[in-house]
Formats: sequence, structure tokens, C-alpha cells
Amino acid sequence: MGQQLFTFGAAFLGSAVESVEALTIVLAVGLTRGWRAPLYGTVAALVSLAVLVVVFGQLIVQRVPESSLKLVIGTLLLLFGLRWLHKAVLRSAGVVAMHDEERAYQQTVDELKGATARHDWVGFVVAFKGVFLEGVEVVFIVVAVGGTSKYFPEAIAGGLLAMLVVAVIGVVVRAPLARVPENTLKYAVGIILTSLGTFWAAEGMGASWPFDFVSIFFLVAAYLAASQLAVQLVRRPVLA
Amino acid sequence: MKFLQSAASRVIGLFVSDWVQTAVIVAIIVAAWYGISGLHATPLPVLVGLVLLLAAQLVWFAVAEARREARPRPLPSPSPR
Repeated sequence: MGQQLFTFGAAFLGSAVESVEALTIVLAVGLTRGWRAPLYGTVAALVSLAVLVVVFGQLIVQRVPESSLKLVIGTLLLLFGLRWLHKAVLRSAGVVAMHDEERAYQQTVDELKGATARHDWVGFVVAFKGVFLEGVEVVFIVVAVGGTSKYFPEAIAGGLLAMLVVAVIGVVVRAPLARVPENTLKYAVGIILTSLGTFWAAEGMGASWPFDFVSIFFLVAAYLAASQLAVQLVRRPVLA
Repeated sequence: MKFLQSAASRVIGLFVSDWVQTAVIVAIIVAAWYGISGLHATPLPVLVGLVLLLAAQLVWFAVAEARREARPRPLPSPSPR
């Protein structure tokens, strides 16, 4: 039960962050050029992503031996999680600017101003590209978290629910979700994915963890401590 | 074509932000894998070492990037007239 919840939560949080970024692009297109083309673009991107999840998910779960799957996906998850964590540490320490949804929204609006209204495909392509490229990260998180843990349905449910929640909020608010604490979410998801990646990569090597799945919480504590240490060291005035 | 290039670089970018850091992480994983599968070492010390090394590289590369960002950048040379 705990592992199912953990898988669902990791997929939900990771997917929510990326969905917020995709929503910003769709809103920028929809509010400046009308809704029909960006909605078609969004649906087309979501269908493409669903095909990716089904094809890759089934291939991975059915064809790849469990130990190799854990080692490869664990390593990829580790690289993915550490990349998010690295960026989150630098943002928390003030070295890198926080991701600004308002600015991303304005940037997309400015780009679209040059295109004339009769080219509706511009809205379609921009929405498709934004949703598809942000969605690739959602697909990876869902496939990696679900495919390795045997809780694929829970991971898919987490990813879908995250997209649904963000989409509903987007429809209600009709503005970029600038108040979502994106860095904090990325920080938390980075730690969770790094811990899951370490856990599965080691299991794929043939090692078994003491206390089995519970050891993930020790891994979370270790990476949280290391990242906090990094934030403190980076903030030191000697670096200024 | 531009979209495919953008998608491909995005996929690589999912896992790699700094090639040196990626190489270090992979080297740590390969060393742990060799220790457990090749040398049949006791798993627990290897696991502890794996986590400590991964945590240490996180701290190291974050501090290194912060140092690089803090270093004053050279002014652009005046363009020839």
C-alpha cells in the first residue's frame, strides 16, 4: 500500500510541475488567438503522448528482464532526478533565477503577435509543440516510476490526475499559474526520483536493501541533507 | 525537422545538463555494479558508498557551478569598425 501511494504521489507531483508549464503555453495561445486551434493541438499532443505511454510502457514491462529494467530505468531516473535537484539547489541558493510562468506566458504571447490571424495552424503547432515537449517528461516519469515498480496503473493514474487538476485550475483561473511553488515542487520531486532511481539501480545490480522499500525514506533523508548542505555552501559569501 | 531536433535535444536534456557530471554519476553506478556483481562485495557497504558518492557529487557540482556563475565575465571586445 505504501509503495503504491509513493508511486502515485511521485507520478502526480512530477507530472503536475510539467503540466503547469504546458498550460502556460496553451493559455498564451488560446487567449491571444482563440481556442479552437490550440485545443486541437493539445488534443493531438495528448493522443501522441498516450500512444508513447502505451507502446513504451508495454514494451518495457513485457520484454525487458526485471533486473536489467531496474538497472537501466533506475540509472535514467537517477540522472533525471539529480538534474532537477541540481537546478533546484541553485535556484534555492539564488544562483539561478526562479522559473517565472508570467514571463514564459508573456514570451509566448510576444512570439505569437507576429503571426497573422488567418494562419490558424500557428496556434495548433505552438500548442502541440508545447504540450508534447513538456509531456515527454511526464511520459518518462510515469513509465519510469510505474514500469519499474509494477504499479503502472497507479503511476498512470497519478500522471492523468495531475494533468486533469492543472487543466481544471487553468480553465477556472484563465491565467498562468504563477503562484504554484514550482521550485519547491521540483526540489521535492527531484529528491523522490533520485531516491527511487538509487533504490532500483541498486536492486538491478543484485543488491537488496535493508528494510526493503522503507529504505527509500533513508535515501530521501540522505539526499535532502546533501542538497541542503549544497544550498548552504552555495549561499556562503565566499562565493560572492 | 526543426521540431524533431528540438524533441531529440529535449529528450537528451532530460538526463544530461552537464556531460562531466553525467559521466561521474554513471562512473559511480558502474563502480557499484562492478563491486556487487563482479567482485561479490558485501552489498551494504557498497550501497552506503553509492549513496554517499552520489550525494557528494551533488554538493560538488552545485558549488562548482555557483563558483562559475560568480566569476566575473570578461567584457566583450569592441567590434572592429
